[in-house]
Amino acid sequence: MSDVYVVGAGMTPFGKHPDKTAAELGAAAVLEALDDAGVSLGEIEAAWVGSVFQGMAMGQRALGEGGISGIPITNVENACSSGSTAIWGAAMSIKAGMYDVVLALGVEHLTGAFRGAFTPDESDVEAQRGLTMPAVYAMRAQRHFAQYGTTSEQLAAISAKNKRNAVANPLAQFKKPVSVDEVLASRMIADPLHLQECAPVSDGAAAVVLASKRKRAALGGSRAVRLAASTLKSGRAEVGLKDMTVEDLTWRAAEEAYERSGISPSDIRFAEVHDCFSIAEALRVEGLGLFPHGEYPARVVKGEADLDGRLPVNGSGGLLGKGHPLGATGVAQVVEVVRQLRGEAGLRQIPGARVGLAHCRGGKAQGVEGTACTVNILTV
Amino acid sequence: MVSTEAATAVMKRPYEVEDGLVRLRAGRCPACNAVYCPARLVCDGCGHRGLEEILLAPRGKIYTFTTVHQSTPEFQTPYHLCYVDFDEQVRVMLPAAGEERPRIGEDVEIVLGTGPRLVGTEPEEGPHALMVAGPATGRDEDDV
Ligand SMILES: [Zn+2]
Repeated sequence: MSDVYVVGAGMTPFGKHPDKTAAELGAAAVLEALDDAGVSLGEIEAAWVGSVFQGMAMGQRALGEGGISGIPITNVENACSSGSTAIWGAAMSIKAGMYDVVLALGVEHLTGAFRGAFTPDESDVEAQRGLTMPAVYAMRAQRHFAQYGTTSEQLAAISAKNKRNAVANPLAQFKKPVSVDEVLASRMIADPLHLQECAPVSDGAAAVVLASKRKRAALGGSRAVRLAASTLKSGRAEVGLKDMTVEDLTWRAAEEAYERSGISPSDIRFAEVHDCFSIAEALRVEGLGLFPHGEYPARVVKGEADLDGRLPVNGSGGLLGKGHPLGATGVAQVVEVVRQLRGEAGLRQIPGARVGLAHCRGGKAQGVEGTACTVNILTV
Repeated sequence: MVSTEAATAVMKRPYEVEDGLVRLRAGRCPACNAVYCPARLVCDGCGHRGLEEILLAPRGKIYTFTTVHQSTPEFQTPYHLCYVDFDEQVRVMLPAAGEERPRIGEDVEIVLGTGPRLVGTEPEEGPHALMVAGPATGRDEDDV
């Protein structure tokens, strides 16, 4: 099986793009990724395209806008993990020896389409009784508080960190730092989560060009990043009374990624994780085995997850600071890890970073722990 | 493809009222005893097809809770939600009755109510018919 390399990365600014269509955003990310890779339109052999609320054949629309047609295009919907599932599929096709150059795109145009809180699908029993996505995470946060003494101030510090990091990211939706006090003073959405602890509604797109070892050699250059593992899992049925602060889904995706790559949690230098809510970042990194269970919020206050800390988390600003265009998020995380590993992350550069992890986890459906979760480990 | 049997199950009221006590309908796997609420066709734990119908105890304990301040237009905010753990080893998400903030570990009993849904937005009676978790009364819980 061939190793898989990321040879090109592209991403639009995240935020509100009322003047652009999803197809235009997608095409812009694709063209930037192709130029970054030094690959022409005709060299792309297949494409996987992730989106959630964009309707039928988003991939054909975006790639058509970008001058790519005729190749196999697979549209992927896997809740917030749609984009990273596209990467998983694209990587698998290279590993299988089917193709040498494959594109993965994530795209979403959400503003104007949504107001209020996201909920599970409306046919979901829990949604019909009033469950919203913030409420799911708020209830998990209440357990983290009760079990580990976690506080609202500690969770607010996670948001403040990510919004501070976003200031150093020119593609991020939020451009201003927000203090812990400002987070706590923002409107309550679902107790204990305030508005500034919830990822915003965003538009945006991100794309990566993946290549086989052979194609990477033919392309030359030294900027390729190896995709050491790409894993996908779905949530297990909830049977019995489980500890809701434990992310079995995240751990199973991570465990397979560590196993396949031969890279252990202690080798990971930095991580981009799915911080759809402040508490979510804690649940993710604890689930990934990067921080001891129950301790992450307190360690954030000590600076351990800052850009200059022991293990920087969401240096890009994360979903909380950079924005969260659902289908694009998982690809954007990988774009960020690639730019860090190439030393191209500008003001938010983590010095000497050689191994990074991207974690993306989405959705909620009654009776299962979560919808889908991916882990991508990249290295130079 | 949904079998006729499953389609019938979907139409069934998700609870029974016995002696004034509300019991949620659930499914128990006859092979491994895993309990699902609502019931499902196949046991995820062991793959057994066909669960036996049971009624959960009328009371449970609050595992966790939140107060929702922003929701979709069908709901009147703020409202409380909680996950309730039942002795049958199953956890169910229910709105909490009343205005008092729920507490972790609190004993509650299931009561019928409209919950936070605005009048006129109630779903047809089905798997989602509305019920809420209210403070447990002093009354002794009968067997089961
Ligand atoms: Zn079973």
